Amino acid sequence: MGMKEHAEIMTPPKMEISLTINGTNVVLQVPPTKRLVTILREELHLTGTKISCEVGRCGACAVQMNNQLVNSCLVMAYQANDTSIVTIEGLAGEELDPIQRAFLEEGGFQCGYCTPGMVMAVNALLATNPSPSDEQIQEALSGNLCRCTGYGGIIRAVQKVITNNNQAI
Amino acid sequence: MAIQISLFNKKKKIRPDGLGKVTGALKYLTDLSFPGMLYGKILRSTEPHAEIQSISVDQAKQLPGVRAIVTYKDVPGLNGFGLIFPDQPVLCEDRVRYVGDAIAAVAADTIEIADAALQLIKVEYKKLPVIVDPEEALHPNAPRLHPDGNLLHRAYYSKGDVEEGFQSCSHIVEEIYELPRQMHAYMETEGGVIVPEVDGKLTVYVGTQHGFKDRYQLSRILNMNETDIRIVSSPMGGSFGGKDELNIQPYGALLALATNCPVKIHQTRRESVRAGLKRHPMKITMKTGVDDSGKILSHKVKILADTGAYATLGPAVLDFSVEHAPGPYVIPNIEIEGLSVFTNNGVAGEFRGFGGNQVTFALEGQIDRLAEKLKMDPLEFREKNLRQVDSPGPLGQKIAPTSGARDVLEAIKEKLHENTNNSHLSDQWKVTGTGVAISIHGGGLGVGRIDPAGGRLSFTKEGKIEAAFGFEECGQGLLAVIETLVMEEFKCKEDDIRIVVGDTDSVPISGSSTASRATSMVWNSIQRMKETFRDEILERASRVTDLPVNELTMGPNGIWLTDESLCISYVELAEKTLNKPLLKVETSFNFPVSPDAVVDGSHFLYAFSSVLARVEVDLLTGKVKVLDLEQAIAAGPVVSLLGYQGQIEGGGIMALGYSLMEEAKMENGAYVNDNFDTYLIPTIQDVPFVMNVEAIEKLQEGDIYGPRGVGEIGTIAVAPAIVKAIHDATGCWVNKLPVSREFLLEQMATRGEKRWV
Ligand code: FES
Ligand code: FES
Repeated sequence: MGMKEHAEIMTPPKMEISLTINGTNVVLQVPPTKRLVTILREELHLTGTKISCEVGRCGACAVQMNNQLVNSCLVMAYQANDTSIVTIEGLAGEELDPIQRAFLEEGGFQCGYCTPGMVMAVNALLATNPSPSDEQIQEALSGNLCRCTGYGGIIRAVQKVITNNNQAI
Repeated sequence: MAIQISLFNKKKKIRPDGLGKVTGALKYLTDLSFPGMLYGKILRSTEPHAEIQSISVDQAKQLPGVRAIVTYKDVPGLNGFGLIFPDQPVLCEDRVRYVGDAIAAVAADTIEIADAALQLIKVEYKKLPVIVDPEEALHPNAPRLHPDGNLLHRAYYSKGDVEEGFQSCSHIVEEIYELPRQMHAYMETEGGVIVPEVDGKLTVYVGTQHGFKDRYQLSRILNMNETDIRIVSSPMGGSFGGKDELNIQPYGALLALATNCPVKIHQTRRESVRAGLKRHPMKITMKTGVDDSGKILSHKVKILADTGAYATLGPAVLDFSVEHAPGPYVIPNIEIEGLSVFTNNGVAGEFRGFGGNQVTFALEGQIDRLAEKLKMDPLEFREKNLRQVDSPGPLGQKIAPTSGARDVLEAIKEKLHENTNNSHLSDQWKVTGTGVAISIHGGGLGVGRIDPAGGRLSFTKEGKIEAAFGFEECGQGLLAVIETLVMEEFKCKEDDIRIVVGDTDSVPISGSSTASRATSMVWNSIQRMKETFRDEILERASRVTDLPVNELTMGPNGIWLTDESLCISYVELAEKTLNKPLLKVETSFNFPVSPDAVVDGSHFLYAFSSVLARVEVDLLTGKVKVLDLEQAIAAGPVVSLLGYQGQIEGGGIMALGYSLMEEAKMENGAYVNDNFDTYLIPTIQDVPFVMNVEAIEKLQEGDIYGPRGVGEIGTIAVAPAIVKAIHDATGCWVNKLPVSREFLLEQMATRGEKRWV
């Protein structure tokens, strides 16, 4: 490694990005390749978004970007510029989101480390498809790994949200 | 008939830590940050076996932003760690024995700088021959990995005369079973922050399964008083045994002391895989014989475990395998020999099931093969040889009487009737089959091991009933267990309780959060403390209110006048007794052990499981899909419903992964699949959409030990049930996990025997 690269590690070139996070506009000076997950966790201390594989395979870092579910470990700062991000911290208002409540009631988590990403994935699914079939649930959540629950409680939680929604209609 | 409850009927209680988990508000220890915090990175060996000729950190030190680099020279105390004996160097000086061996650690202003510094550290190695095979390791000419050679531990048990036994057998099955190296794959990798305090003490915010053990090990390494170290160990994003041993703590601590700054280390997944523990790969040879009537007469077992480079709990895991080799069966002639052997592979150690998974796979495989030879129904065959209520334990020791083995067998028999092959196969290239297996699993560390338990109840200044235990919340639901038990005992509300766990500065000694022992020991502790605590609090209330003590009772919000009205709230009572000494009740005792066990580590309290698996096998691709997975568990009363169900379902799916997909492969001492893109664990698409868990809560009359833990039992009998289901579907016996599609295809082709046509 040359001295120039050293300098870059210490003071990498930065760009200004502007994005909306959970409804609040944020302007940051960051290296363009800094990952969104790092920005959330380390710059903004929004640690509800987790990190586990860093290669897009586990969904622990899942957030919504312009209403799309993305793995924030795969999104770089320049790609997040001018977008609107919702993280787990932005999901509940005064009250818990019905998905969060169902996870609580049905045991949709144990250690809880996969839970923020899982809840965001369920939210993304139900936003576009309020009554998914079993196969659609499996398809939509297949990018979110959970090592604790064996998915039983997660499936029951999702089914509960769907039933409650249907009853409400 | 056993008391059976449907897990869906009893009230499901929301976990106390649930809200923080579903909202993302809960701070895990790897989420913490402190002012002036630095980032640490650990340099691990590139060689699986080598002499270190030189380590040069000069260039790395000059990199701006690097605040400290530590090597073996900087370890003030013992340069070693390990739960049984400290044979693993904290920082290697002259030799590395696996690719997870640490050589240096760096603290820097940013992770990027720390990473860059690692690349500037120059290590010269002289390669040594790499031992990847435990059989090779035992060869007299093999290079010695440790001063005492390559045999970490031998465990042996025998009774009767196996050879004589075999002579009276009409059928004998002898097979070799091979079990893979499994990764814990907790979603939160190892990490946390180590903070030097102004008074010279050190706070270690890092997950572990036994805070006091970490404190002890760190004090040895750092040459500090144990009381100057505080371990905060909860919450954790999963552990499953994998965070029981020290991992990043010593490096964070050395760097924090060197820089006098908080240091955060959070391993990447790749770093975690490379350095972390795994489940022991084992090769198990079993020879088992029966007479004409189907009685098992003789059982000979040889276990060879690849323990990797260092000991950790390797000896105890092997002891556990040996103990569970006879399973829940009564066999007159037994000989079991286990060898746990050092190699240059990744370190194998504690993992949910603790050696029971491997040996149960082999044992249940033998049972099914024998039943086939006898042309006997596999369940009937099991029944014939099953232990009775008062039968001794697997190694002949006295154990707490239990009908668990029979209860789980009965329960699964019924499920088998219900689960008649009801799938209508639309595809002629798919076949289905059903398999059943059972297991026995000991709780606690076992006889001859230091296995203390205990807890504390106090009534705080704020008017809370405080329950303190030296256990950790790994995700398993410990907090829900404590809350439920305290509420049930004192009829109080969630809000009346304060739970303290996972902090060595404020908890009593309770032993480790391992070996399915925490729930069981919380219950036992509360039984020992409840009367004194209740008496004392009512006594105080009586004095404050001037009401007769025998008319007072504990209840929601405070003390009640025999059930009618609240006479004083807990808060008021606390205020009015502020000048009194703190009401505090403590207990300490040991995990119950067998009075007459002769083999170290053997158990006294056991849980049982039975599993029914139904699979679909694709004849064209060899792919196996598990359609149904049902378990019946006999582990005493259910404490926390969602916790119980979650442990069994989650354990079952972890074992499904073990059966069908998971193997942390090593080639010449290096991990081949080191992240979730190549090491695949079950996703929601790999699991049955509905699973059934049946809890058999019955205990024998007079049993004083209460609920047994269920953290491990759900993982044990799944693999043999799946493999039997594959046999049922295809006629192929599988001896090696994870089940290989290629093997199945080849077998199905060569057999040319299609039972399903
Ligand atoms: S951490 Fe982003 S997908 Fe795993
Ligand atoms: S709850 Fe632990 S990984 Fe899902």
